[in-house]
Amino acid sequence: MSSQVLNVEGLNASYGESRVLFDISINVLDKQVVGCVGRNGAGKSTLLKSIAGFLRPRSGTISSDGVDLVGRTAFGIAGMGIKYIPQDKKVFSDLTVRENLELGSYASGDYNWEPVLEFFPKLKVLIDRKAGYLSGGERQMLMIGRAILGKPKLLLIDEPTEGLAPSIVSHLKDVFRELSKSAALVIVEQNLPMICAISDKIYALNEGRLMAEITERDKITPEFCEPYL
Amino acid sequence: MNVLRWWSGLLVAFALLILLRIFLPLPFNNEIIIFSVYVIGCNFLLGRVGFISFGQPAYLAVGAYGTAFYLYYFGTNPYVGILIGILSGIVVSLIVGPLFVRLRSDYFALVNMALAVIIFFLMQKVLADITFGDNGLWFLTNVDSTPILDLTRPDQFYIFAFLAAFAVWAFYKYLDDSIFGACCLATKMNDDKVRFLGYNNFHIRLAAFVIANTTTALAGSLYAVYLGFVSPEMTSPARTADPVVVTILGGVGTLFGPIVGSVAYTGMKDLISKYFGNWELVIGILLVFIMLAGEKGIWGSLEPLIKRWVFRQREAEKPAAADAGVKSR
Repeated sequence: MSSQVLNVEGLNASYGESRVLFDISINVLDKQVVGCVGRNGAGKSTLLKSIAGFLRPRSGTISSDGVDLVGRTAFGIAGMGIKYIPQDKKVFSDLTVRENLELGSYASGDYNWEPVLEFFPKLKVLIDRKAGYLSGGERQMLMIGRAILGKPKLLLIDEPTEGLAPSIVSHLKDVFRELSKSAALVIVEQNLPMICAISDKIYALNEGRLMAEITERDKITPEFCEPYL
Repeated sequence: MNVLRWWSGLLVAFALLILLRIFLPLPFNNEIIIFSVYVIGCNFLLGRVGFISFGQPAYLAVGAYGTAFYLYYFGTNPYVGILIGILSGIVVSLIVGPLFVRLRSDYFALVNMALAVIIFFLMQKVLADITFGDNGLWFLTNVDSTPILDLTRPDQFYIFAFLAAFAVWAFYKYLDDSIFGACCLATKMNDDKVRFLGYNNFHIRLAAFVIANTTTALAGSLYAVYLGFVSPEMTSPARTADPVVVTILGGVGTLFGPIVGSVAYTGMKDLISKYFGNWELVIGILLVFIMLAGEKGIWGSLEPLIKRWVFRQREAEKPAAADAGVKSR
């Protein structure tokens, strides 16, 4: 039986006085791809930030393999193999691609870049280019590449395909499938065809509340999920 | 070859400093060497970590008084005095650092400025019994001559300061090229993302803070041994902006900006003050023009041009080398 890489129970979170998440409960098994869909402002990104340690929940529990994550620092959680890839595609723009990867390597102790360069051969060509000069797609590749160093057990990926060309989206889809062979993935996404194609389970959020948990394979379709967007 | 290329910039820069020594008087050379060591800490904090520090004179004074107390009250060996100055810088940085580096850059600037004012009043008033207040501590005659390099002789002191500065620059170049340097730059660019990767940004900032201020304390120690005198004036509120101004003048975050800025600033100060009493006014106006001409500062503007020129030279050499290869076959 697969272990529970992430278990969130009764999570409530807020920004100051403004409540954003209401009693959210989700769970993710090892090597499972979990999609998280919902309209803008549904609380999807806040959910990822709470798990990654950037937002302290008001109440509720977040655990990974039985270890409580609430109250831990963001870098401590990253050190446990739970990597967050934010939506904004902001890389360290004054550093080269190589230096960006080195930062990932040094933090995780994993200096084997072969898997990264296999997933994203383009990074090999761009290795000495300043990250600030990369396109949106290339930045996303770099951020994912940097995050998978150290073989994380859980990747939290926030809107990875936003603003990217269809060919890159298709490439990322293949990469996520491949990554799911070694890690669990929680992907916040509004691109329904893409997320439905790779997910084992979909959580739909609306106004900070969990509206649906879709686990049946035949229901994980863009048509079925459309009403939640 | 790579090793040679790594050192080439440093060697050229310090060879140029030796040239300056030939053409310009010794006190001017000593001044720019020590001043550039003073400024490089500020340059590292501002250029690499994104901290603007108006408190560098505080750490300069800590180093200088650490050395001065030893040479006035306890001992006579200037090398030991310098070592004590450096240790004083480390201790003070470790005491205030954990509090200061938690602050945002603007608050960091102000709290450091406040520290400079505190140190100024400590040395001027509170500890006047041992610092002699504005009269300062005079210990030139207490300092022993030392073998190999006699620091009581200005010409030999220059060699020591030159070597110390070279070591400092080699260390900062190493830092710039290291993962730690990349971490510092990453915290400056995006603090949160450094944490996503698993780094404790507090530790990165604290280490950078201690390194930068220890270098500044070293400059203070060098001043103390060179002049044989320290006074609270070095940390007076009027002096707090000096290292920031020179950092910006030279080129923020560039390796050689502090040297270029120190030469330009000290040169302007010495040259203009000969003809014009209120030299600060002229330097202020000049700085405004320099900033308007290019925010990158002097070295920050020159460096890309030099790099382009070196690149062209290398590109021009490539076909020649290739031709030579064909002929040899």
